[in-house]
Amino acid sequence: MVKGMTQDPFEAVVAVHHAEIHRYLVRTTSRSGEADDLSQETFVRAYRAYQALPPDANVRAWLFAIATNLCRNHFRSEKRRRQAMAVAAANASERGPAWPEGEAIANQATARLDRIVAALPLKQRLAFTLRKVHELEYEAIGESLQCSAESARAHVFQALKKIRRELHDLAVVHAEPQP
Amino acid sequence: MTDANPTCREIERDLVAMAAGEAASGAARVVERHLARCRECRDELERYRVLESMVTDLRREPVPGADPALSRAELESRLADIRARMVAYGIFSSPLGKILIARSELGIALVEYLNSEKAAVSYLAQLAGGEVREDKAGVEMVYHELLEYLDRRRTRLDWPLDLRWAGSDFQRRVLAATAELPYGAVTSYAGIARRIGTPSAVRAVAQALRRNPVPIVIPCHRVIGNSGDLVGYAGNRISLKRTLLSLEGVPVAARGRRIERNHMYARAGADTEYCVPTCGSLSRQSLAGLTLFGSRGHAESVGLTPCASCRPDLHPLSA
Repeated sequence: MVKGMTQDPFEAVVAVHHAEIHRYLVRTTSRSGEADDLSQETFVRAYRAYQALPPDANVRAWLFAIATNLCRNHFRSEKRRRQAMAVAAANASERGPAWPEGEAIANQATARLDRIVAALPLKQRLAFTLRKVHELEYEAIGESLQCSAESARAHVFQALKKIRRELHDLAVVHAEPQP
Repeated sequence: MTDANPTCREIERDLVAMAAGEAASGAARVVERHLARCRECRDELERYRVLESMVTDLRREPVPGADPALSRAELESRLADIRARMVAYGIFSSPLGKILIARSELGIALVEYLNSEKAAVSYLAQLAGGEVREDKAGVEMVYHELLEYLDRRRTRLDWPLDLRWAGSDFQRRVLAATAELPYGAVTSYAGIARRIGTPSAVRAVAQALRRNPVPIVIPCHRVIGNSGDLVGYAGNRISLKRTLLSLEGVPVAARGRRIERNHMYARAGADTEYCVPTCGSLSRQSLAGLTLFGSRGHAESVGLTPCASCRPDLHPLSA
């Protein structure tokens, strides 16, 4: 008998990582429909290449790299980029979230941060999300963005600077006594 | 922090890193020294720390509108579809030369004798529409059973088969009839044609067997010319056909191109008995109506009993 025909180790990869990759793509595309497509595409590509992946590879970082690459290709088309900018602008002007109507956002501060992140330039948005939300190492982020770890760090820094500027009203609570 | 102050600008990156707890110790000391003098930057550090804590919340909050369930379900169905089409293969050495064995989720889909590895793999890729991957481990079990078979330690290869590349219904019927031929037995192309109810389609049967995607497993080597000649096997590999028949105990004439019908037991049609080849009019009958067995053991292993008139059990053929 031929054994092992129905056991596919990739099923476990999908089970463990799909929800997170999907979340990443919702954040970076600002559209859950596109995240649906791109996350599927990520795993279909991964499935085809999975056999050739070294056994000690970091599967999670590898999946983020595929997702990031697809996301960048997606935005590379000029038309889509313009559409995305329009969405981002709409978000940034606080006309409301791009999420499906009726979705209540519990935390207003988080919602605001989400909108600012959505309006960041693509590379910064990707680098920021990979680092700050998904906590990938700069090395892995560099591989995702096809740049050095140092450039990845710089993208995150630029993103933080922009976000800081947008949040101009951040309150400062001084721990030390005022002179 | 003021844009006008060059020191503030210089330490800015390390200050941001410090808020995230990522600053190297040397850099942190430089920032600390600056902070002691610069109120603006102290405030700025605090703001970045607030921002970091907002980011932590971002990490914890669910992403609005992000329900992965539908996407996951669609993904599972796409993967199932790819999996069903996907073919894994391995290339192995065997006493018959190099062989490629390929399987799908359903079963063994291809057994191919190799002239050239590269040509075989690209043939497979073409058959499978690109959904092909090398996975020796995935077909290794089958390979070991095949080796046992070729070493006479096994007489059956009960593998699930995927006959996706057996083109037509007719070909499938031919292959199914051929698969019924027991170990150590032979019949002719005309015999198979008769069994599937198309006695005149002898050439078509030969063609269908020539394109047998799973030789050995579906034993097309047990189908020979009506004259007993070992015609046509895997292109023109008559010697492979001879090797396979010989290891099953089918007597092949010294020159090696014809079975020795006089040294084989015979079953006529669907009889439940087997005979010596000289029983009644058997020796004058066309091979098309007969199944020949290399030994009594082979005949009896499929439930046949010795003929009551010629009594092969009392008068066996001399070896």
